[in-house]
Amino acid sequence: MAAAGIALFAISYDSVAILRDFAAAHGITFPLLSDEGSHVMRGLGLINERVQEDHAAYGIPPNPRHVNLPYPGVFVLDAAGVVTRKVFHESYRERDSGGGLVAQAIGLFTTSPKAATAAGPVVTVRAWLDSPTYAWFQRLTLTVEVTVAPGHHVYGQPAAAGLVPLVVEIEPLAGLEVDSVTWPEPHRLVLPGLGDEMWVHDGTVRGTLALTFTGAPGGGSHAIGIRVAFQACSATACLIPSAVRLEVPVREVALVGRSLPTAAAKT
Amino acid sequence: MPLPPRDFRLIGPREGQRFPDVRLPDQDGTLVDLHAARASRPALVVFYRSAEW
Repeated sequence: MAAAGIALFAISYDSVAILRDFAAAHGITFPLLSDEGSHVMRGLGLINERVQEDHAAYGIPPNPRHVNLPYPGVFVLDAAGVVTRKVFHESYRERDSGGGLVAQAIGLFTTSPKAATAAGPVVTVRAWLDSPTYAWFQRLTLTVEVTVAPGHHVYGQPAAAGLVPLVVEIEPLAGLEVDSVTWPEPHRLVLPGLGDEMWVHDGTVRGTLALTFTGAPGGGSHAIGIRVAFQACSATACLIPSAVRLEVPVREVALVGRSLPTAAAKT
Repeated sequence: MPLPPRDFRLIGPREGQRFPDVRLPDQDGTLVDLHAARASRPALVVFYRSAEW
């Protein structure tokens, strides 16, 4: 980290004594900052006030340890100290503890994403992961970028009858949980002579979805297969529906430091 | 039913804003001023649950 010219700070509500032991046990040399009582995290607006409520929703009883917990995540600061990116997770079950989260955040600095590309005459699709590596229970973000040639559009959801909307499917992989894709809102298009309004994307549009590796550690490297289906039309003509297949590679990295709870553990 | 997801853009310091001044003791008990310790480097600030459990 220091070699990369990036400062790293980790903040929790643990006491100095606990952090001293933890740092010694794991050979950690970067600052582990102690926010006992969570006053600084509260001042930053990072405390998850809904954690008990969240847990109740999953049938987990109240636990005094779960008070004053921050949302788990990383802030990326530029050289002027300005926040350029935030990476946050909803819960600690799907978390990037220690190595995974930091590796992912380092990736924001050090790796330009390697995109898989499928270029057609009207539609070009690219896809990339925000990290070339994953660790157990790490959540990666897959970005699918669709660029439509000028004068053309593809369809958002809901698509009118007979038209194929833009759809992304991730090929099933053991131990890989796939969330649904989030696209920007399509915009409304009404063509003269056609009664129906249509919801379309044009130009370049990027959708994102979360991939979480929940299989047992040791899953190794994968090629994640992505199928993107769409139908491109201009104001006067539609191309036949089409689909492209992309593959993005991802490599497992061992977790740094402490072990994570098992998937079944309720913490 | 899980609760609906939060909009994390609205939680904590916003993108485009300077990260607030933070002074906290480190694992050696030394008070660390985050921005001073960055020494004009970019930085990652990780918030996590606990080193203990």
